Amino acid sequence: MAARAASATGLAPAARAGGFVLLALALCLVLVLSITVGARPIALADIWNALTAFDPTQTNHKIILDLRLPRTLVGLLVGAALGLSGAILQGATRNPLADPGILGINAGATLCVVLGISVFGITQLSGYVWLAFLGAGVAMLVVYLVASLGREGATPVKLALAGAAVTAALTSVTSAILITNVETLDQIRFWQVGALTGRTTDILLQVAPFILAGIVLALLTSRILDGLALGDDVARGLGLKVQRGRAMVGFAAVILAGAATAAAGPIAFVGLTVPHLARAFTGPNYRWILPYSMLLAPILLLGADIIGRIIVPPGELQVGIVTAALGAPFFIALVRRRKLAEL
Amino acid sequence: MSLKTLAETAFATLLFSVPGAAFAQAWSYVDGSGATVTLDHVPTRIIASQDAAAGLIPLGIRPVGIYADSAIADAKALEGLDLTGIEIIGEAWGEVSVEKAAALKPDLIVAEWWPLENNWSGGKDVSVALKPLAPVTGPVQGSSIVTLIEDYERLAASLGADLAAPQVVADKAAFEASLTKFKAAVAAKPNLVAEPVWAGTDGLYVAATKASSELLDFASWGLKLVDPEIADDRGYWETLSWENADKYQPDLILVDNRQKSTMQTALAQPTWTTLKAAAAGQVTDWPAYWLRNYAAYAGALDKLTAAIDAADQDLSTE
Repeated sequence: MAARAASATGLAPAARAGGFVLLALALCLVLVLSITVGARPIALADIWNALTAFDPTQTNHKIILDLRLPRTLVGLLVGAALGLSGAILQGATRNPLADPGILGINAGATLCVVLGISVFGITQLSGYVWLAFLGAGVAMLVVYLVASLGREGATPVKLALAGAAVTAALTSVTSAILITNVETLDQIRFWQVGALTGRTTDILLQVAPFILAGIVLALLTSRILDGLALGDDVARGLGLKVQRGRAMVGFAAVILAGAATAAAGPIAFVGLTVPHLARAFTGPNYRWILPYSMLLAPILLLGADIIGRIIVPPGELQVGIVTAALGAPFFIALVRRRKLAEL
Repeated sequence: MSLKTLAETAFATLLFSVPGAAFAQAWSYVDGSGATVTLDHVPTRIIASQDAAAGLIPLGIRPVGIYADSAIADAKALEGLDLTGIEIIGEAWGEVSVEKAAALKPDLIVAEWWPLENNWSGGKDVSVALKPLAPVTGPVQGSSIVTLIEDYERLAASLGADLAAPQVVADKAAFEASLTKFKAAVAAKPNLVAEPVWAGTDGLYVAATKASSELLDFASWGLKLVDPEIADDRGYWETLSWENADKYQPDLILVDNRQKSTMQTALAQPTWTTLKAAAAGQVTDWPAYWLRNYAAYAGALDKLTAAIDAADQDLSTE
């Protein structure tokens, strides 16, 4: 273990801090691009005016303030939430393929939204948010309870198995509803792809408190994750309360992934890929993996969203499609270049 | 040709050659796909697609079964029609219960031929499933709803409908009165331009006139419509990002009214009101793709006429 930790590359401590600053700058650049680049060309002067002297009668001002700004902030929060939840889930379950999908979070959120559409006739995005949240929480709770059965409690392997089983069960119910109800399928298609389009200020305000709380909670778990990475027995020997630690990590992951899915739909690959990318820079130290993931994920997500906005004018391509198209080959390249970190 | 068929043909020839015999009359119809359907008697047990049912029921031809593209309550085409005693054998696009259809022992399946899709209403799955039960036929989805209704009149008459029945005549007269008022309203506002749209969370879809029969009708009666640039090879819509929702500035917006949620989605978009017509409330329903009879058409035209009468025709150019 020690040999592996030493051999795992990554930057020297000083370079890690420098890298973090560089990432922060890159994120700022992407945020600026996300506000300035869109399906509609808007002059920089107009954008500045929109932010400083908003005039509701000006179409360009409305687009900046009511569309691009909330969309950018939702992308920032959702990205950070996906990156962090992926990283802490991979750490807590010691599973390099863990992401919000593996613990039933996406499946639970999707089922609840589908039920909301088919049973309660909810048609607007802002209505989906609470449903997705509820579904993510219930699914994760069931996964955790199922995994906790038995003497040794919720071990990584049992969590992954319970997650896969619950995901399969929930997905089959979702499919049963969608197959018999084409109209619901029509409505959910856009949500299910994952998108930042149409995410207005009300959706931002609905999820922001949860994601911010989740970020704080997740960043506090780095010591637990570093302990868990040594194996449950060693972690216990170091005085760590393994079950309680894993529960806390799970709680943070549900808040983050649930809120992210609620805001943008189930977005694939970001939560899975980003922690591995972060590890390539930082080595196996969660004190650095977490902040790196938190910055890298929104860079990727917003970057993909920006590409989606300009690739098919005058329309747009949804970010879920772009991240899937970019993420898959990127992930394969990552795995081939560097033996996937054993966690 | 098998011996059995040969015998049947010979028997049929014998029957029809008997002069003056009171046997069932043969029935033949040239349908919208260009094929001719021939039966040895006038069909009475008909299964209809929701649109065909909406075309036939007001003319007095009642199908025994209907397959719809959605839940019956949401099927705009069937709104206001008396469906008592008619079995519903499908309530989703592309889906039909073959078992229920077979139990109805149909003589004929009436659907519509969609040239752009190269298929019958409900898609390939439905027509393949129903074809073994009875011939699939019907009029073509063409360049005018009026022509389509006339096709239904021709079909209904061949099936024994009385086109001189008082209700049928009254419906047609009401439509012509509504049409006269519509044309007058359009003529009174020569600068008015209308934009037919469907609104989604991902963007605003502007409809191509040529892909919709009722829009072609409106255009032929003088209404000016936005002419979108269509990139899709399917030729139905131009997709605008909500940032570009104001690419066209019409005086009147027509919103696809097949689903109520479309209007709600439009109203929820911050840039919806960057369309001057939306900001001014010059928005009305577009009876998109579902008109199949004079009564429904008259109602839709009256609504449009009222919206045109109330609209400021120079809104977009001010």
